[in-house]
Amino acid sequence: MRWFYLILGCWAFTCVMGAEDEDSRGSLVRVRASIQPYDQFRPWQKKSPYGLNGTGVVLPGGKVLATAALVANRTEVGLEKPGSAEKCAAEVEAIDYEANLALLQPTDKNFLKGFSGVVLGPALRAGDKTEVWQLERNGEMLQNQAEILSAGVGRYPSDEAGFLLYGVRVSLPKRDDSYTLPLMKDGQLAGMMMGYDRDSQEGTAIPIPMIEHFLKDAADGKYEGFPTLGVSWSTLRDPNLREEVMAPKSGGLLLTRVNPRGTAGRAGLKEGDVLLSVDGFKLDEDGNYRDSLYGPTAVGNLIRTKPTVGSVARFRISRNGKEMDLTGTYDRKAREEVSIPTLQFDQAPKYLVVGGLVFQELTGVYLQEWGDKWSERAPQRLVEYFSFQQEKRPDPEKKVVFLSQVLPSPITLGYQQLSGLVLEKMNGHEINNLPDLAKAVDGISSGDIVFEFRDEPGKLILQADGLPAISEKIGKDYGLPALRRL
Amino acid sequence: MGNGVLRFAPLLLLPLLGSCGKGDWQLSEARKNVVMIEVTAQTWDYRLPWNPGTVSSARGAGFVIDQKRIITNAHVVSGARYLTVQREADPRKYPAKVKFVAHDCDLAMVEVEDPDFYKGTTDLKIGGIPDLESVVSVYGFPIGGDRLSVTRGVVSRIDYNSYTHSGRESHLAIQIDAAINPGNSGGPVMQNDKVVGVAFQGFRGDVAQNVGYMIPTPVIRRFLKDVEDEKYDHYVDIAIRWMALENPAMRKYYHRPNDGLGVVVTDIFSEGSSDGVLEKGDVLLSIDGHPIESDGSVRLDGQPVQLEEIVERKFAGDTVELEVWRNQSAEKKSITLRPAEMFSMYEVLYEEAPRYVLYGGLVFQPMTANLMAGLLGSADLRLRQTYTLFGQDQLYRETPEPVILTSVLPDRSNVYLVGLAGQIVKEINGKRIRTLADVVPALELGGEKTVIHFEGDQRPAVLKKKEVDQVMPRIMAQYGISETKRTELGDRRLAKGSFKKEGESR
Repeated sequence: MRWFYLILGCWAFTCVMGAEDEDSRGSLVRVRASIQPYDQFRPWQKKSPYGLNGTGVVLPGGKVLATAALVANRTEVGLEKPGSAEKCAAEVEAIDYEANLALLQPTDKNFLKGFSGVVLGPALRAGDKTEVWQLERNGEMLQNQAEILSAGVGRYPSDEAGFLLYGVRVSLPKRDDSYTLPLMKDGQLAGMMMGYDRDSQEGTAIPIPMIEHFLKDAADGKYEGFPTLGVSWSTLRDPNLREEVMAPKSGGLLLTRVNPRGTAGRAGLKEGDVLLSVDGFKLDEDGNYRDSLYGPTAVGNLIRTKPTVGSVARFRISRNGKEMDLTGTYDRKAREEVSIPTLQFDQAPKYLVVGGLVFQELTGVYLQEWGDKWSERAPQRLVEYFSFQQEKRPDPEKKVVFLSQVLPSPITLGYQQLSGLVLEKMNGHEINNLPDLAKAVDGISSGDIVFEFRDEPGKLILQADGLPAISEKIGKDYGLPALRRL
Repeated sequence: MGNGVLRFAPLLLLPLLGSCGKGDWQLSEARKNVVMIEVTAQTWDYRLPWNPGTVSSARGAGFVIDQKRIITNAHVVSGARYLTVQREADPRKYPAKVKFVAHDCDLAMVEVEDPDFYKGTTDLKIGGIPDLESVVSVYGFPIGGDRLSVTRGVVSRIDYNSYTHSGRESHLAIQIDAAINPGNSGGPVMQNDKVVGVAFQGFRGDVAQNVGYMIPTPVIRRFLKDVEDEKYDHYVDIAIRWMALENPAMRKYYHRPNDGLGVVVTDIFSEGSSDGVLEKGDVLLSIDGHPIESDGSVRLDGQPVQLEEIVERKFAGDTVELEVWRNQSAEKKSITLRPAEMFSMYEVLYEEAPRYVLYGGLVFQPMTANLMAGLLGSADLRLRQTYTLFGQDQLYRETPEPVILTSVLPDRSNVYLVGLAGQIVKEINGKRIRTLADVVPALELGGEKTVIHFEGDQRPAVLKKKEVDQVMPRIMAQYGISETKRTELGDRRLAKGSFKKEGESR
């Protein structure tokens, strides 16, 4: 996971000292997050803690908007009033790692009393002038002039999704609490800055339509997230390809894979269909629809930002040259009903230690622990399951349980070098998740425990007699706080 | 699991700068027979397979043994277009030619036609495996000067090691602490006036010091015996994977007493020597009468070596006798050995010209180690994974030789296809593509259109045959390509035809 870090050592001043009116005073609050991620390679412990400081936006009603990156893997989050040292703990009420947004609620309801809050402004377009606000140490406001360079679908830091994104040109001085900063326009919120490169003086911001969607979703206390279609597609510019798939004269995308569990799959869309329009918006052959505000915009915005989970999805397709309409319901199943979850921050990794063998359930976060080149460095079988899930593990109920490492002990003699092995069976029983395995292991008190793996060496054997005591001892020797977390 | 911290420097060739030499002294046995080999070689460019490649010159060493044979490393003479040899006692450079080259064990035999060359040579004798700690001398023409260089060191280690020239082979190798540098390659390592090894690889200076490797005499003898029939065959392979049987619970599970003997078979590669003879879960107790220790070693000439060493010394068609523990009883199994052709994809090719098929600017090439070496860092994940898991997952049973659309030479006729470069071809005109040989006939199938499907969720490529015929001359002229294809297999691969056909009939 590569979150963008804002403002690290930038001293180029091109900022403007702003007027200290009451409006701006009542709008921002410092957010102090203590972060301590789990150690995916030693799932029983956490890594060393560190702090992140950002600036949150107080919304009317007293909740605070920040980026998800600021509070991911938090142990606690605190708010601090600018200009005073008054502090208050906060709870995360809603968080979306895909959209990189979080909504915080101070535990003391009166803490932000007197803050008027910031209302959401209109969506901006390329060329619009705007401001990025920062807090000085004394609580004064820095209002840095900024310009929207672009507004279109782009990659978010989580690397998992493409959403509407502003490219912003701004010169930001180095200040504390700049991990998250608000983008403002005429005293209203225009977006949340989430990335900044001080060399090019350009950054990215989450635009208002995304924030609106997020807040609307969070308002009922049950956060659902941004819907997804669950399809792979190709552009249809190539006239030869158009002819081959019998696409109409112009427009449309070619669906190259449809997840049967996703919004599109359940609505009846199939691989090979040409998707002509979504919710009444025609798609051109490059995958753009005509947005009333932004002009030609990637279909991603149309299917992810505009609708909400549960709303009706209307598709017009061409199948073997015949046009037809299909209807479905937007959901996130293609993303959530999966064997290997991707954005599992904050969640303690599951593990099970059996006589020195350490088993884990595969997640995207585990793979990312291998670093930027995880797809080359991590065990290739795990990379394969994760990257080609649709082919290798389409059933979301079947998790990937794997032997992540071996803690050397007399009973693991000869097994020490093994790691990254996907477990298939234990004593002949198929293992579909870690609790399954724990239950199966607990049920055996004598004889052999035979673990069968996808890859060589195929089988590993442990003696069940006295195993719990041996596991206890190994746990003690290696200082494990617990032998399992299911 | 393994994280390769140390990197071998495979080629101990010294680029040619210039040389001179003259001498007429009383020479030692070794000095009479050591030769300097100067090679001009051609290396193919797999990114531009139709080009003849780059020409470069380098220097290595060799030595004369009986029957006027000159032994050197395969990597010294790989791709040689012109080579000369020269002795210390004779300033003349004699043109020579490569008689046999064995890339898998990095050995080659060179011969000189002019009988004058051999005047004064005394035929070096080949010795045995030197003892650990004993002193050896290395002869060669390494960096630092143009005349013969001699360095000395002790035998540090005798072990199985990877032979980096072929990229996939491991054989017995002897580590010595004498300085071995570029230019030493192919030179004899001497002890008591006998050859005890051929210097061939080392580590680059930044990871280790005084670590040089020589090819020991069992490997040299094997090579000499192999070429007795005037052609070199490949090493044979038992084509299994096994695991040390050290764990007490594991031993009990396989009903083996705690006697420290036996390894368990964990995988058998289909189409390999042991296919149909051994089974997963068999415990190997002895090989050709040598008891197998639980770590997989056997005693050979008093030295512990990996059990594969027994197989190593054999030839295609030879048998190896195994004592196998299966269903709680010992059985005798006899395995007829053959090369592990299914892994030849991981072998770096030297003599074979890169094969390709050009079609409307689309370049199709088979997956080879040479191609992947240039692609691996940048390749698409599916392509990388297919290569990495090809052997392990026995993908060769389905596709003995995956075909890749390696590039799309931009032309106005194919602008929409450029993004498909790097994809693995699945089908052309409805025919499953399993080797490059399938491509040309498949392109002729179907009607007016050619439809190419790829692995994964890629869009297909659709081309109009008439249009392709029209644009081909233009594309070939523009990119300087004279042939639309090169599909014939090299000599070495021809021998593998049987394997390919066998795969096809499945």
